[in-house]
Amino acid sequence: MSARALLLALGIAMACPAMGQSPRVEPSAPAVPAVPAPVLPGGQPLAAPAPQTQDAAPPSVPLAPATPDLVVDLSLARVSITSAFQGASLLLFGMYDPPGEIVVVVQGPPARETVLRKERVAGLWLNVGRQRFDDVPAYYAIAASQPLQRLLARGAGGEILSLEDRLATVKPLGDRNPASLAQYRAGLVEVKRRDGLYPAAIGQVSIQANRLFRADLPFPSSLPEGVYEVRTYLLREGRIVAAIQRPLPVGKVGFNAQIEQWADRHGAWYGLAAIVMALAAGWLGGAIVRRL
Amino acid sequence: MEIYLPIAELSINVFLLLGLGAAAGLLSGMFGVGGGFLATPLLIFAGIPPAVAVASQVNQVVANSVSSLQVQWRRGNVDFRMGLVLLLGGMIGSSGGVWLFTWLKRIGQIDFVIATLYVVLLSTIGVMMLAESLRTWAVRRRNPEAPRGKLHTHYLVHRLPLKLRFYKSKLYISALLPVGLGFAIGILSAILGVGGGFILVPAMIYLLGMPTAVVIGTSNFQILFVAANVTFLHAATNGTVDIVLALLLIVGGVVGAPIGARIAARLPGVLLRGLMAAIILAVATELLVQLLRTPVSPFSLGVREVLP
Repeated sequence: MSARALLLALGIAMACPAMGQSPRVEPSAPAVPAVPAPVLPGGQPLAAPAPQTQDAAPPSVPLAPATPDLVVDLSLARVSITSAFQGASLLLFGMYDPPGEIVVVVQGPPARETVLRKERVAGLWLNVGRQRFDDVPAYYAIAASQPLQRLLARGAGGEILSLEDRLATVKPLGDRNPASLAQYRAGLVEVKRRDGLYPAAIGQVSIQANRLFRADLPFPSSLPEGVYEVRTYLLREGRIVAAIQRPLPVGKVGFNAQIEQWADRHGAWYGLAAIVMALAAGWLGGAIVRRL
Repeated sequence: MEIYLPIAELSINVFLLLGLGAAAGLLSGMFGVGGGFLATPLLIFAGIPPAVAVASQVNQVVANSVSSLQVQWRRGNVDFRMGLVLLLGGMIGSSGGVWLFTWLKRIGQIDFVIATLYVVLLSTIGVMMLAESLRTWAVRRRNPEAPRGKLHTHYLVHRLPLKLRFYKSKLYISALLPVGLGFAIGILSAILGVGGGFILVPAMIYLLGMPTAVVIGTSNFQILFVAANVTFLHAATNGTVDIVLALLLIVGGVVGAPIGARIAARLPGVLLRGLMAAIILAVATELLVQLLRTPVSPFSLGVREVLP
């Protein structure tokens, strides 16, 4: 019960600044409320067997009882890509029953990526090699309350993967010798890292009062869309004792979403509209300028 | 002030795009060409994906050519017959060009092809224009009253079959040549995101032997429809036309064009052509340097495919 009271206090404390700096919250956000409700669904434990039914239930009546050891929420229910989007920083916060350490893993939706390699041919740099990988996460970041090596060295539950371990599982297409494949895999990490999608440094989970924790999750402006996964683990003596998974939808909203949807689904009409827009703008512009 | 472009999927400075549009408009006002050959490489330098840069820039060309055509039309400077013959080739060429673009993009060579084509085209034209304007300048200095050369010195054009009479251009030449010219410009338009005026205009003067007065209007007529076709096909097949990006370029262009026209009215033609040649050569050199310089990283990513 004391855990619940503390959580309420935390929720109120976090809600105010989060509300102030979050003009991007959509009113029609999904079932998970943008601001922590007094009684949190807190996502569902990974082990919970019926995650689908949760959407139907009102948020205040979670079907599975929340894990008492670990409660987590995000400052925003989704990352909204608006015309002013320049990247986003989300606050993940929660509470746990000590003792323990917290690890947060954020993973973007998997997709097929093609890595191209340039080589100098007759003095010019051109793409000579390509390697496709399946199941490449769009984004991958880890935050931990202690250096990750130390946490994992004690034989952590195999579920928490460092970026290197995670990428070791991507599936290369076609045949290629292991040495060359390793080069392409390194190239993939290099490009993603340059775009800010695979942050090189492990983020910091800061712990307060031995019970509360918070972590900032940075997202760059060139963020692929999709449903991201935010997993929070509670470790004791190197073993996972509790885990919570929360989906984090990332997508364009408003004008941007409409334009993209239109271009995507009705390319021909979009093309015609682009031509009409250009004709009107060119004609008008020309006419106005000649009057001046 | 940054703006997120919905199709290019990145955030970029608004004033950079407006400035780029204005620079292209300035060129079009000064020299009567679209300025796309300058804007497309600069958009790519700024980090816009080449496929989006090309398709959106071609959308800007539609706006640019309609506003030039407005004037030429009123002055009666459009040879419709020649325009339609050029357009026949242009439509076929641009449709094929979009298909070629899609294929090159799929095999991961589109960036290289765009850069190489630009280097070859721009350096050839730049050198030719520079040589021509230097020669004219030298001749004028020696003999300001030098007689003009013959207007028609073409033999191939007159021997090919399918001859057509072009009254407005005072020509009786084979239709094959303008069709072929339109076809080639159409391909370039689709791959490079340009109207192609910077090639079309000299080709119409020197290759077809058209009178200079109707060249600009007729080329604008052909460019308008070819650019519209390219915009439509890129939108329908690749979904790479970014309306927000195009609109910013158009607005910049509308502001830049009259300034360019005013500058052009004050400068002598020879100097103007020399200046244009210098700009073309500068862009070509920068592109060539990019192809030759060792890249920061040999790796890049192709299109990300979300599998169902």
